[in-house]
Amino acid sequence: MADRLYDLIFICMPTTPEEEVTKIVSTLEQTASEHGGKVEKVEKWGTRKMAYRVAKQREGFYVYLALHSTQGSLIKELERRLKVTDAVIKYMTVRLDEEIKRQQKLVAHREHRARRRPRKPAAAPAAPPAPEQQAAAS
Amino acid sequence: MSEQQPVPRPSGPSGGSREGRPSGPGGGPSGPRRGKRQYFRKKKVCRFCVEKVDFIDYKKVEMLQPFVQERGKILPRRMTGTCSKHQRWLGVAVKRARNIALLPFATEL
Repeated sequence: MADRLYDLIFICMPTTPEEEVTKIVSTLEQTASEHGGKVEKVEKWGTRKMAYRVAKQREGFYVYLALHSTQGSLIKELERRLKVTDAVIKYMTVRLDEEIKRQQKLVAHREHRARRRPRKPAAAPAAPPAPEQQAAAS
Repeated sequence: MSEQQPVPRPSGPSGGSREGRPSGPGGGPSGPRRGKRQYFRKKKVCRFCVEKVDFIDYKKVEMLQPFVQERGKILPRRMTGTCSKHQRWLGVAVKRARNIALLPFATEL
């Protein structure tokens, strides 16, 4: 089965020490590898203001993970772990592979069109006279 | 003949009255349209089409912010000039951003 790509963002309490966040991330990575997935990228966005209050907090420590997995049970397990962890106040997983596929298709389509219709040098001289005529008329 | 239909459908009379109405407004726009258009509004272009965006990232809040009102509402297409395709993607992106508290559902207070 094809790999699925996911974005996983979770928010920790702003009071959480950095080491604990690192620990959470490493347990997630371990879980991912156990279930035949892989964490591609980890980004700690740090403490930032949340748009609304979550768990009576106005700020949260954002952590972003990009991962790919071959089975859906991995996501289920990761979300279960995040739910259980006290420091995590909010999390979200988004499946992105289909959108990326669509994006690649669009890019390919545009490139194909650009190749099929290259700008002819002859077209350039033809274009300027028209504005001149218009200018003369007005 | 004089009694066209003894039992006209309830929609019948209303349909008749409606028939009269379109001729009025129908004639109206055709009048000004005949001459030069009085107002020329600059055509809005989809910002995403200009930049050739293929994927609107929900993580880039700065990118989504101009399309969201102060209170958190998504701005309509007629205000921003976004094309339908990108508006659809934008809606999805804004909703994702809301879910993870990057954008507000509604501003408190």
